[in-house]
Amino acid sequence: MQEDIMRRPGLVRRSILKGMAGMAALPLAGRAAFAQAGKAEAPELAKLAAEGKLPKLADRLPANPLVVEPFSKVGAYGGSLRRGLRGSSDHNGILRMVGNQGLVRWNLQFTEVRPNVAEKWDVNADATEFTFYLRKGMKWSDGKPFTADDILFSINDCVLNTDLYKSAPSQLSIGGAPAVVTKVDDTTVKFTFKQPYALFLEQLATPLGQHPTLFPKHYGMQFVPKYNPNVADLVKAANVSGWPDLFRAKMGDIEIPSRWGNPDKPTLDPWVVTEPYVGGATRVVMKRNPYFWQVDTAGNQLPYIDQLTFGISQDVESLMLDVVSGKIDIQDRHVNSLPNKPTLAKNREKGGYRLLELEPSGAQQCQIYLNMTHKDPAMRAMFANKEFRKALSLGIDRKEIIELVYLGQSEPYQAGPRPSHPWYHEKLARQNTQLDKAQANAILDKIGYDKKGGDGFRLRPDGQKVFFAIDVIPTLYPDLVDTLELVKRHWAAIGVDVKVNTIERTLYYTRGDANDHDAAVWPGPGGLDPMFDPRDFFAQHPQGSRYAIPWTLWYVSNGKDGQEPPESQKKRMKLFDDARATADLAKRGAIMKQIFDICADEFETIGVCLAVNTFGVVKNNLQNVPPKTPDSWSWPNPGPAMPQQFFFT
Amino acid sequence: MLKFILKRLAWMIPSLLAVSFLAFVLIQLPPGDFVTSYVATLAASNEIVDQNTARDLRERFGLDQPMFVQYVKWIWGIVTRGDFGISFEWQQPVSGLIWERMALTLILTVSTLIATWAIALPIGVYSAVRKYSIGDYLFTLLSFLGLAIPSFLLALVLMYVAAVHFGQDVGGLFSEEFQNAPWSWAKTVDLIHHLWIPVIILAVSGTASLIRVMRANMLDEIHKPYVVTARAKGLSEFRLLVKYPVRLALNPFISTIAWLLPNLVSGSIVVAIVLNLPTAAPLLLQSLMAQDMYLAGAFVLLICGLTLVGSLVSDILLALVDPRIRLE
Repeated sequence: MQEDIMRRPGLVRRSILKGMAGMAALPLAGRAAFAQAGKAEAPELAKLAAEGKLPKLADRLPANPLVVEPFSKVGAYGGSLRRGLRGSSDHNGILRMVGNQGLVRWNLQFTEVRPNVAEKWDVNADATEFTFYLRKGMKWSDGKPFTADDILFSINDCVLNTDLYKSAPSQLSIGGAPAVVTKVDDTTVKFTFKQPYALFLEQLATPLGQHPTLFPKHYGMQFVPKYNPNVADLVKAANVSGWPDLFRAKMGDIEIPSRWGNPDKPTLDPWVVTEPYVGGATRVVMKRNPYFWQVDTAGNQLPYIDQLTFGISQDVESLMLDVVSGKIDIQDRHVNSLPNKPTLAKNREKGGYRLLELEPSGAQQCQIYLNMTHKDPAMRAMFANKEFRKALSLGIDRKEIIELVYLGQSEPYQAGPRPSHPWYHEKLARQNTQLDKAQANAILDKIGYDKKGGDGFRLRPDGQKVFFAIDVIPTLYPDLVDTLELVKRHWAAIGVDVKVNTIERTLYYTRGDANDHDAAVWPGPGGLDPMFDPRDFFAQHPQGSRYAIPWTLWYVSNGKDGQEPPESQKKRMKLFDDARATADLAKRGAIMKQIFDICADEFETIGVCLAVNTFGVVKNNLQNVPPKTPDSWSWPNPGPAMPQQFFFT
Repeated sequence: MLKFILKRLAWMIPSLLAVSFLAFVLIQLPPGDFVTSYVATLAASNEIVDQNTARDLRERFGLDQPMFVQYVKWIWGIVTRGDFGISFEWQQPVSGLIWERMALTLILTVSTLIATWAIALPIGVYSAVRKYSIGDYLFTLLSFLGLAIPSFLLALVLMYVAAVHFGQDVGGLFSEEFQNAPWSWAKTVDLIHHLWIPVIILAVSGTASLIRVMRANMLDEIHKPYVVTARAKGLSEFRLLVKYPVRLALNPFISTIAWLLPNLVSGSIVVAIVLNLPTAAPLLLQSLMAQDMYLAGAFVLLICGLTLVGSLVSDILLALVDPRIRLE
């Protein structure tokens, strides 16, 4: 299994084939264990059931619970798992641990979509109709049945309700039209799209694809005027301004804190909030869900661990102190920066923990985006010149940066899928990564920057110095500041002057949104998930494709806003739309290769080096934790590694 | 006196209005808004907010409206309904978030104040009376050391020593089991057990300057003719000191009561964050960083309100303590 994690075949290949065949991807071992499902439960639940305070286990589990194969061995019940959150806005720290209970889920390798809430599914030939089969007898954490009606309520009454969501979430729409969800019977639901949407299953496996299973109808109805004409009384009692506010406070959403702020809201998660994450809380506690619908291969109901405790630290240093002194059982968020690694490695024995290896889903550690749509025509002309960008790239001493900033743990890289990915594109990834000052100088001379000013820097034809500022957020990515300082020195050697513009993060964003930046840096995504985040391959992300945000706006608004991009961009936009709709993975790969080819020719972004592996810590007595996993938002580690099958020895 | 108090109370209303408007403007001055900062925070963990969602959020929170409109809506809610608005970040009414935190802040502030005075005043008096004695030099040295060590550093060192050498947790104001428990006698005792660490850390730096102030004031007083007279009349040295010079030397302490509260809220931010104290400071800082304007605005408004009340209290106290002060 560990071997498998190292290999990383195409994201989507098998899942689509499986989906087409309508296969339930139950492993054989799981089938064998079927008969035993519901054999054992946690002692505290057994006691409650014996006392008649809780239905018997067989009545709590669905007819065919999801059988989870433990990572290394069948575990034992008990224990409380401690993890840290940082202040506020760290709600996704909880989501990553428990909230990955969508219709489908990722496998451990991030390569394939597996059954989860849905036990199987069918996809029609042109990928416009997805039929999901739910588990009979499945229950919410309060014991009420979970049926197709819950999904219909979630989508039709909540997500597509324009009072709640002005526009449907992107994951659930394609071609500007949201999914049409219909009930076939109590345990069968059909999603229909206007256009082929081959990526839908993968999107459902990501955190942002959790909407279908997020809102319990029997509880949520009271907050929706359609079902409760007296909702105004509740609004008044809660002292909020309208029912949408009340709904959000009580029911939450995928990634807002109030998702974990209401202990009364039923969920499908392995643990349920008992001490909520609200403003001013100093810890969050979650207790096991007695109705959790997964069992291990021996038929024991999951989760193994009784309770999760999330301490809330305002300060990362105190979180580090907790890790070093062994008060945290599993953690990567906030503590896994490169400078912290030596400290954490040194204190392994004292803290009784081991290190995990996390492979980033990103491609690039430091992507430099020159603003090719700059408001100043002279700057625009300079950045839009491919030869200029090539000269800059040739002028960077990547070896030195990797040695000094990344402790030798990387390799020169431009963009594109990581070397382990089947779509790896040699030219896109490696072109212009060698240090060649002579060629860089020759190019700059040739394209008209051959005169030099008194300070030794080159002059533009209009007499201005070749100079621009690169925006970077020091609090977020301190390593990028170090990298840029070195790049500044390298570029000074070829006569180009830059300013490392360290700014606050909201300013960074507003400058980008307003197209006010000369250049900016950010880690380049798309290494393991090129279909999810192709922002470096063409202008696609309204906040991330920082070399041409107006082009992006043109793309996402279907030509209404922004600026019309050049032909090569338009071609890639069209190709990507095709790829999104192509179910056949080989064909999709061929389309993506065309995008990569054009992207490599255009050479819009300048990369430094491959995104470096990070790490996490886990206590020695916590078992069934895979030693190496992806590190991604789309694969929200450690969730897809199934913390419900972690256990203490 | 009563007329004076009433007049002062009446003045507080326009002051608070002006302050609330200024606070609102200041909170909005940094670039971007709550949604920008929300997106940025999530991006920090490589998490993505759906573009549609971000646009909806902005509309829902009314962030697309002019600032003045947002302000009037907010203040109107406070004046007419006592409604401080909804915290964007928590989707909770602001009033529910601030009261317990403000209460704990007050407890911490008052405890620190008492500790600071209890240490500083006797030492100040001693240093003045025994000027240039070994004790005076010793206390001066210690107090300057206290002033020189940043309190967050002291907090970090204490935490490190406690965690690494004694395996103890010194962060927070409550033990694990009391953190979310309702108030009870046991919880109060637990609070007292935890309170002394932040109180000492915060008191250390405040003490030094107070010792100097007290010493200087006392030196001014103890050579005045009335002291000499009293001594000549045979009053015991201790009674003489306490009854007259100390009372007058307290004047600057009383007149600064008004500043103590805002000082201790803002001055303790770093310590509160390092020690993980559930006081107002970390929540205020976070709400400012997230541009959660209603929450931040409510805090600023409350602190200003308390400052105004504090200055009224110190004026009244001054009038009572120092017979030389008249309100006319």
